[in-house]
Amino acid sequence: MKKTVGIIGAGTMGGGIAQVAALAGFDVLLYDTSGEALKASMERIRGDLRTSVQKGTATSPEATAALTRIRPRRTFEEMGAADAVIEAAPEDLEVKKEIFRALDRIVAPRAVLATNTSSLSITSIGSLTRTPESVVGMHFFNPPARMKLVEIVRGSQTSEQTVRTVHEMALAMGKTAVFCSDTPGFIVNRVARPFYGEALRVLGEGTATAEEIDRIVRLSGGFRMGPFELMDLIGIDVNYAVTKSVYEQFYHEPRFRPHPIQRRMVEAGTLGRKTGRGFYRYE
Amino acid sequence: MNDPGGSEAKRRVFIAGESPLVEEYASACAGAGMAVGVSFNPGSGGNLPPGAVRRARGGTKDTVGIELTNTSRETKRKNLAEMDRWLPPASPILSASAATTVTEQSAWVRTPERLIGIAALPSLLRGTLVEIAPSLAAGRRAVEASQSFFRDLGKETSIVRDSPGMVLPRILCMLVNEASFALGERIARRGDIDTAMTLGTNYPFGPFEWGKKIGFEQVRAVLEGLRREFGEERYRTAPLLSRGIPEDTAAGPAGAPPFHSQ
Repeated sequence: MKKTVGIIGAGTMGGGIAQVAALAGFDVLLYDTSGEALKASMERIRGDLRTSVQKGTATSPEATAALTRIRPRRTFEEMGAADAVIEAAPEDLEVKKEIFRALDRIVAPRAVLATNTSSLSITSIGSLTRTPESVVGMHFFNPPARMKLVEIVRGSQTSEQTVRTVHEMALAMGKTAVFCSDTPGFIVNRVARPFYGEALRVLGEGTATAEEIDRIVRLSGGFRMGPFELMDLIGIDVNYAVTKSVYEQFYHEPRFRPHPIQRRMVEAGTLGRKTGRGFYRYE
Repeated sequence: MNDPGGSEAKRRVFIAGESPLVEEYASACAGAGMAVGVSFNPGSGGNLPPGAVRRARGGTKDTVGIELTNTSRETKRKNLAEMDRWLPPASPILSASAATTVTEQSAWVRTPERLIGIAALPSLLRGTLVEIAPSLAAGRRAVEASQSFFRDLGKETSIVRDSPGMVLPRILCMLVNEASFALGERIARRGDIDTAMTLGTNYPFGPFEWGKKIGFEQVRAVLEGLRREFGEERYRTAPLLSRGIPEDTAAGPAGAPPFHSQ
């Protein structure tokens, strides 16, 4: 079992992963170029752990111990001490490539290098390192502290040993792991596309309103949220970007074609809950 | 007898179609105290649920007719024509319209004004709402009668415009189709795809669990209906859905898909 986990990027995902890793007993090196981001992340983790104690999902000593196990770092070279690194930087291939090139120079040859990407190619990222067999996808879901799922994604050169290591890490963190090959959208972001895409077409064809479609999907299908409520929650820009990415990576397969309604809403800045208006209005 | 579809008198329901849709509707109707006669399509199998009786065809005393065939347009056409012939003109005919639009079915009956499409797929009647799509010729009376019928079953209704696959069947069957493409491409194991979709998106069931509940033959029928109506590549059925969805075999190392073991 790996003892020290380096996490690159102290945003929502990086901070959340740091929290679950620390609660699972790993020593965590949390890296970000921005001191402000690190400070904000540690505050979020502290607040979230406090809530966990109040809700009874963690004891006070466990939360305190977890916090002391997270060491914020601004010097990249210190990540060289990690047995495994989970990169959670912004979803930009160039940024990630730069990080993996740099990691390749400082980590031990047997260290596992995981990326929390939701859409970029593990094989492509791995090709930049001397040890592509150690590079693997470890896709957590937002928020990592509450979502049970981790997609473990094997690139074309990822070794079984690497897969086993991240599987053990995911289990230690209390997650359920699923395995998939390095294909656009992996499992969830690919298979979920029709939930949004067909709903948008049904709306566009005037078969039913967004409210009615949501009501049908919830009350007839038993889904917790309808597609439009969910798009508003995720962010229509985020959902649109994922659809576009999967569509383009599949060389314009018609099943994944984005819908003009969504593009118009992105252009209008009506992005869902975060802007107060999407398919619904929020006060 | 102003409202033969209404709830004042005991309803007499005649249901024709395929298993297990017929059993699901017949059980719900019998459970709600209705008199239920059923006729299974030849070769569809099916067990007579408690409280229902087998009948060769509908009759002049039936206050509601329900046609539940998605997988054979020919049989559906025949069943609808029979119902149209024997049921009194004021009795609404509710017809499974997940795979064939109500508009198309309207051409198969002499009295389309009483034809109401319903999003009937196996297992969907467990929900608390049923989507209905009146035919273009349907009058208010038929719509209200069908709403009243579903109210007696404890269900809300949502009226949608006639469209291939209606709302939920179209979304669900396309989810099952995409999962089947992914499985056919061997990107992950069947069980992992179900797990990923329930834990990663909070779906009540994984796509293959849905497929099993609905029936893969029914899923294919809905997809074929979408393809027929829209004529788009988007609605192509995944090859695995035609060949059969295999169960997972023993896991490879670390639960890896066996086909990716190196």
